[in-house]
Amino acid sequence: MNYTTEKSGNTIKVELNGRFTFGDHSSFRKLIEEIRSQEAETQILDLSGVEFIDSAGLGMLLLARDEGEKSRATVVLKGAQGQVKRMLEVARFDTLFKLED
Amino acid sequence: MPATGEAHPRPLVAVAEPLDQTRAAQVLCGRHIFGDGAGAHAELFFGRSPEDFEHRNRYQLCLIPSETGREWLGALVRLNCNYFVECYDGFDLGDLGPLRTAKRGANWDLLVCMSTQSAYQLPMARKFVTALRHRGIIHDTIAPTVEMAVQEAFANSMIHGNLEMNTTGHLSMDRFNELGEETARRLASPIHGGRAIMLTAKKRRNGNVEISIHDQGSGFVPPDETPVPKLPGAESTFGRGLPLIRSLCHDVTFDRGGRTIRLTFAPDASAALPLNTNFVAGLEAAEQAAGQGDLRNPRDATILIADDTMISREIIASYLRSDGFTNLVFAKDGEDALEQAHRHNPDLIILDIIMPKMDGYEVCKALRANPLFAEIPIIAQTALEENEGRTRIFEDGATDLILKPLNKAEMIARTRIHLENRLLVKQLQAYQERTQSELEMARDMQEMLIPKAEQYRGIGLDYGMTISASFQMSSELGGDMWGLAPIDDDRLGVYIVDFAGHGLGAALNTFRLHSLIWSDDRHDDDPGAYLESLNRHLKGLLPVGQYATMLYGIINRTAETFRYASAACTSPVLGNVKTGSTTFLDGSGVPLGVIRDARYETRETAFGIDNFLLLYSDALIETVLDDGALLEGERLLHLVQDIISETGGMPDLASHLADQFMDRAPVKLHDDFTVVSLQPNRQNSSV
Repeated sequence: MNYTTEKSGNTIKVELNGRFTFGDHSSFRKLIEEIRSQEAETQILDLSGVEFIDSAGLGMLLLARDEGEKSRATVVLKGAQGQVKRMLEVARFDTLFKLED
Repeated sequence: MPATGEAHPRPLVAVAEPLDQTRAAQVLCGRHIFGDGAGAHAELFFGRSPEDFEHRNRYQLCLIPSETGREWLGALVRLNCNYFVECYDGFDLGDLGPLRTAKRGANWDLLVCMSTQSAYQLPMARKFVTALRHRGIIHDTIAPTVEMAVQEAFANSMIHGNLEMNTTGHLSMDRFNELGEETARRLASPIHGGRAIMLTAKKRRNGNVEISIHDQGSGFVPPDETPVPKLPGAESTFGRGLPLIRSLCHDVTFDRGGRTIRLTFAPDASAALPLNTNFVAGLEAAEQAAGQGDLRNPRDATILIADDTMISREIIASYLRSDGFTNLVFAKDGEDALEQAHRHNPDLIILDIIMPKMDGYEVCKALRANPLFAEIPIIAQTALEENEGRTRIFEDGATDLILKPLNKAEMIARTRIHLENRLLVKQLQAYQERTQSELEMARDMQEMLIPKAEQYRGIGLDYGMTISASFQMSSELGGDMWGLAPIDDDRLGVYIVDFAGHGLGAALNTFRLHSLIWSDDRHDDDPGAYLESLNRHLKGLLPVGQYATMLYGIINRTAETFRYASAACTSPVLGNVKTGSTTFLDGSGVPLGVIRDARYETRETAFGIDNFLLLYSDALIETVLDDGALLEGERLLHLVQDIISETGGMPDLASHLADQFMDRAPVKLHDDFTVVSLQPNRQNSSV
């Protein structure tokens, strides 16, 4: 998994790309640190470039949500498709996150 | 040779370099891979990439080096081999071995065994599932589900099994970081990271596919069946996916004290459509052949009647004779039935179930066990009316069942039907075998038009370049071709061709063009002028409506240029390893063979030490991938950039690209698939 971040106003937008699985520990950790260092009311995780996610990846999304709550930011999951969309549905992430197309 | 004079079967083993003879011999000796000790006298073949191994060879085992990463994972799809084992330091199969014997018939349809260290970094589930798709073991439609389940089970075996990580409890960011560091430590240690993890797959007779993951940890004890939690709240932790796995598979079981997890997938019923496109053509041909008299008349068929009472035999015979069947042979008990079957090689057997010496069930089983009688129709006749006996005789291999007392019309009708089916199937098989072997010959010939791995690598070496290529022929014959034409010390010519359409016609045209290209050594001309002359020749040879797209270019390493001309070829990708930028060159131009006096412009671009070039056929950009989209335009450029940044500019671009493409493309391509990449070797690049 790799990512790019972009901040505009009160929103930080993160584009994730590739496969997001158990091996993506360290890149996810870096991502969280990067988000933490910037103040934002809304954190948008754009998943449209993610082609595959496993339960560990879902766990990491939950962590991102916890971290967001600590700084009172809303975490939005955006643009999930295919397998990723299916996994979010199976895990009922609609009840935990704000989902956007 | 052993004293008995009995020859040892010598297994063919593909060895990936940089593994050498010594290392391969070390790993192969003993009985932990080949249980019959055949590893000690294996015949070894060495190669730098999967392309180096002859496709016609069937390798019993492929040894892959440690830490080669993704390159050799591609072998799972591209190498004619089912067993892949990584030779890492401290390699010890323990109770996972032995993996197989040298005799034919492996236990597994696919097996991959790697160290935890290596496997952790690699998209194992993805590659394994792609390989299963390409081997026809699972259908494209269930592949995404299988991949999800394998990914979860694999993570479980790796993280809980081999690495023995405890991930229970609430997962906070601190805890997550701790786990991450602990994972890295354990991966690096020989105790945990040096454990083997093995994936195996097998297709069962009932169509179910079993995929197992075996680890060397202390055993994963599956928690009691608890209902799937309604909401994934605080308890959702890293790598825990058993409820998810259960929801994706037909069945999940554990073995070896929890160190093997076995997932069973039922075939997708909606996918059970005939895959073989030759089938319909074969049927038509068989029907035609039927009219030509070389199909044997069903009335000439030899029918074996096995029944212990003479009266029954006579009744059946009289029914059959009345319908014109005259080649009848008889057996009076089970043993006799087998003997008569061997003696007369009948076309159909009518078999009584209750008989002395050997009953009908046993006869059926014995016949089916012999390949000679594997497909012969067997009509069982019985007075048994209860369901058990009826089911049993079908399980033992009967084709059909007739109840006693026999009905004349029914007896004749069933005999006729089965004989006609049988003869039709025989015809189809003969036809398919013939066309198959002819097609294979044509394929082999076409493959000879394309440079072999050692050839293009050698030429690359001469010019200080790394050349990588991947070629996959479509399910039918296609019209792709590429090649290299060394001109002088500085200049190397390269071409890629795609003839319109596929099938025999397109293949023949590639032969025509190939001989035109090589009949004349003047590749040093201006590329535009070269295509113009080629076009004039080709126009004279090709029937109206047939044409080709082609690109011919010359890399000049001293002038650091790439000069090319294109006849409607796909636009090549020019990239820069240093800046990571990629761009399309201009592929426009009139296709070859359309108009006699077509003009082709010679275009020039800088091509220095940091550049690379990618040529490809349109199958790369015109195949619908698993997400319903094509790999074209910006998407292709991005993918190339990703590969370059992921591999740190490592130059096997074409094979990396082909691997990623195959992960996401359907198994059967409608067109030939060619990708070629050329990249100057950078002196200061790290080794």
